[in-house]
Amino acid sequence: MAARGLLTTAEELLSSPWDVVVIGGGNAALVSAMSARDQGARVLVLERSDVTFRGGNSRHTRNIRCVHNSADAYNTGAYTFDELWKDLCSVGSGPSDEELAHLTVCESESVTGWMAERGALFQPPLAGTLHMGRTNRFFLGGGKALINNYYRTLRDRQIPVVYEATVEELVFDGDRCTELVVNHAGRRHSLRAAAVVAAAGGFEGNIEWLTKYWGDAARNFHIRGPRHNDGLILRALLDAGARTAGEERGFHAVAVDARSPKFDGGIATRLDCIPFGVVLNNQQERFYDEGQDIWPKRYAIWGRNISQQPDQIAYCFWDSKVQDQFLPPMYGVYSAPTIEGVASQMGMDPERSAATIRQYNAGVPEDATSRFNPAHLDALATTGVTPPKTNWAQQLDSPPYYGIAMRPGITFTYMGVGVNRQARVQREDGTHFANVFAAGEIMSGNILSSGYMAGFGMTIGTVWGRIAGREAAQNALR
Amino acid sequence: MPFDDLFAEAERQLKVCNSCRYCAGYCPVWPAMELRTAMTQGDITHLSNLCHDCRDCFTACMYTAPHEFDLNPPAIFTQVRERTYDHYVWPARVPGVLRGRGGLAVAFLAICMLLVALNVLTTGGAVFTGPQTGSAYEMIRHLLLVAIVTVPALWSVGVMLVALARYWKDTRGQFRDLLDGRAWASCLNQSAWMTHQTGAEEGCAYEENEPSVNRRRAHHLVMYGFLLTFVSTTSAAIEENFFGQEPPYPYLSVPVITGTVGGIMATIGCVVLIRLKKRSDAFQTTPTMRRADYGLLWALLVLMGSGLLVLLTRTTVAFGPMLVVHLAAVIVAFGIMPYTKFVHWNYRVLAVYKDNLERTGAPAQAHYDLSPETRA
Repeated sequence: MAARGLLTTAEELLSSPWDVVVIGGGNAALVSAMSARDQGARVLVLERSDVTFRGGNSRHTRNIRCVHNSADAYNTGAYTFDELWKDLCSVGSGPSDEELAHLTVCESESVTGWMAERGALFQPPLAGTLHMGRTNRFFLGGGKALINNYYRTLRDRQIPVVYEATVEELVFDGDRCTELVVNHAGRRHSLRAAAVVAAAGGFEGNIEWLTKYWGDAARNFHIRGPRHNDGLILRALLDAGARTAGEERGFHAVAVDARSPKFDGGIATRLDCIPFGVVLNNQQERFYDEGQDIWPKRYAIWGRNISQQPDQIAYCFWDSKVQDQFLPPMYGVYSAPTIEGVASQMGMDPERSAATIRQYNAGVPEDATSRFNPAHLDALATTGVTPPKTNWAQQLDSPPYYGIAMRPGITFTYMGVGVNRQARVQREDGTHFANVFAAGEIMSGNILSSGYMAGFGMTIGTVWGRIAGREAAQNALR
Repeated sequence: MPFDDLFAEAERQLKVCNSCRYCAGYCPVWPAMELRTAMTQGDITHLSNLCHDCRDCFTACMYTAPHEFDLNPPAIFTQVRERTYDHYVWPARVPGVLRGRGGLAVAFLAICMLLVALNVLTTGGAVFTGPQTGSAYEMIRHLLLVAIVTVPALWSVGVMLVALARYWKDTRGQFRDLLDGRAWASCLNQSAWMTHQTGAEEGCAYEENEPSVNRRRAHHLVMYGFLLTFVSTTSAAIEENFFGQEPPYPYLSVPVITGTVGGIMATIGCVVLIRLKKRSDAFQTTPTMRRADYGLLWALLVLMGSGLLVLLTRTTVAFGPMLVVHLAAVIVAFGIMPYTKFVHWNYRVLAVYKDNLERTGAPAQAHYDLSPETRA
């Protein structure tokens, strides 16, 4: 780089003016940067993290959901606009802004080709991913590998990245962002950019902020992504008068092992024992139908379910009949010859836990074991038990018994800033900022407010990163 | 680390891997892991030898240090492979005096002296007076030469066969399972192309953690160069025993051409691999494996280089001494082969074969898709 006469040190990079500065280092940020560069803009990327942990939530992702009208090496069949639109409408409360959601689905069709031209590699659907292989395209090696490839493309296209750079303040003059105050290595820099793309993620890593909407319950949440997703940029934009989009309590959360790390546990700590077991809260009571639905819909339910229980904890029990039906949790499971034994290992009241399980067992049909079919919704339901378990309801009667404690694991938040079709950030007063654009989770609330559709976060990030980068560059070069 | 701790650590890491499975597209290690919910030491040994050290799983991993999960599959697999190379070989250890670089130098010098002594005793010292025809047999009588090279070679082959039998017993168990022709066919095809080292389309993230095909290409040069020198020796034996053609062979003959081309290929390959290794991440392997790798590469360079020099000097007075050096290197190499990194491909081929057995033999997973791969 030095040989080409380009800026090399962070000091130099942060003291020079840029056409476009991208705040963030995940998928939406990198896509924005590449898209802006495609327009001929000089682009700087500011990543909060170091190299090892770069990429925000994107490093924990695995696939992307896009419209495609035929099968190919990486998708087993067509997934049309109409089908994706229908799926999107059935998620949570449906699209927040129909126009922008519609645009997202339209634009998704050209996304995977665009990605491949910029270094993304995909993998053919494999045994474990087959049933999503039609709708979703899987990244070879997962999200971090995708991000690594994008960073290589940035390097090849002379887009510098400053790591461990925190944007502490956005300085506005009227509707224009004139300056970014960047903290790097303990020094504050005043950075000038003709246009800014905010692609810095949601605020799920900011427990204090979550407590505003969830109360003290939020202190028991586990955050599945990096702690850097603390919403610093979202806060700065809202303080500068940006309009909010998406529900403040909107998030995606799953059941994770209660022993998981507070942050960054990612995919490995989530649990999928629930449909085969019985779930109790710490009052030793059942509270929700464990057999309600199939993947992936059910997946999104249980984080929220547990977050609404006392102390945000729940315990799943099962027996040896179903022990091999799901992946062994990474931390292992509790096990004992009796329900009481498992319950006391987990710190529960053994007698009352066993009583609840006996009550549940009494509601299971006599012929349950022969009707049980893990391959389908088997309608094997309890009777006379509240709440009922509507599928896969077998008795817990075959020792050894097993159990595990679960917490809500927050993947991402939905509340962000409102944008228009050009990804331009809107203001409360109905106008918009002159030179500030947004992409990714910081604006995903424009598309969805609640619920979860696997791989669609990456679709939003890529579609809107592409728009935001292009628009920011054109705005800057005008 | 003690073996129990080593396997416990490998199992800890693989439990995290089994809960993630993002690497499934890179190589067969991960689909093979998914077939197992509980890991035995044999399973871990199998997976470790199935690993071709492409390191893509490390660069793709969200859980490498300083993350508290502290995953490092390339390094833990390397440790288990070291244990494999050490554990299965019988007799287990090189005798004390022959251990390490000093031992190697002593052995090499001793063999050189033996060769010179034999030369003096049988030819009256032709090694010092230069060649008449450029045939090795001027220096060491034919049968004597065959004997002093064959004895250590047969010894090593015997030791390796015992080691491989012990390895197979631990990782698979049944010897009759070794007779599956279809599995052998795909195993040899995959081994010949080293398809498991490519990280699917990504390439091997070796030098500076940047994916490329350099390491695989260099390895091909070494592997096929080495095989060509083997062809050279074999074809020379055939020409001599079946066609009665005595050495030296003309420059345009099968033994000389294959030996020269093979020697040059392997030399270039070794030089490239040494250079790549210097730029690779030491954190993803162990210091001992790194030394073993360098040891093998330098040993191959000495073998190939001295062999090429024998050819180049065969009309000069340097021929005798060069031949002594080359023969001593060959004899030492044959003698210590089972105790070096050279053995790696033996276990790896068996692991690839076993993987093919499992993939054709294992029933399709009948699981309902409750598995977490369905989401990201």
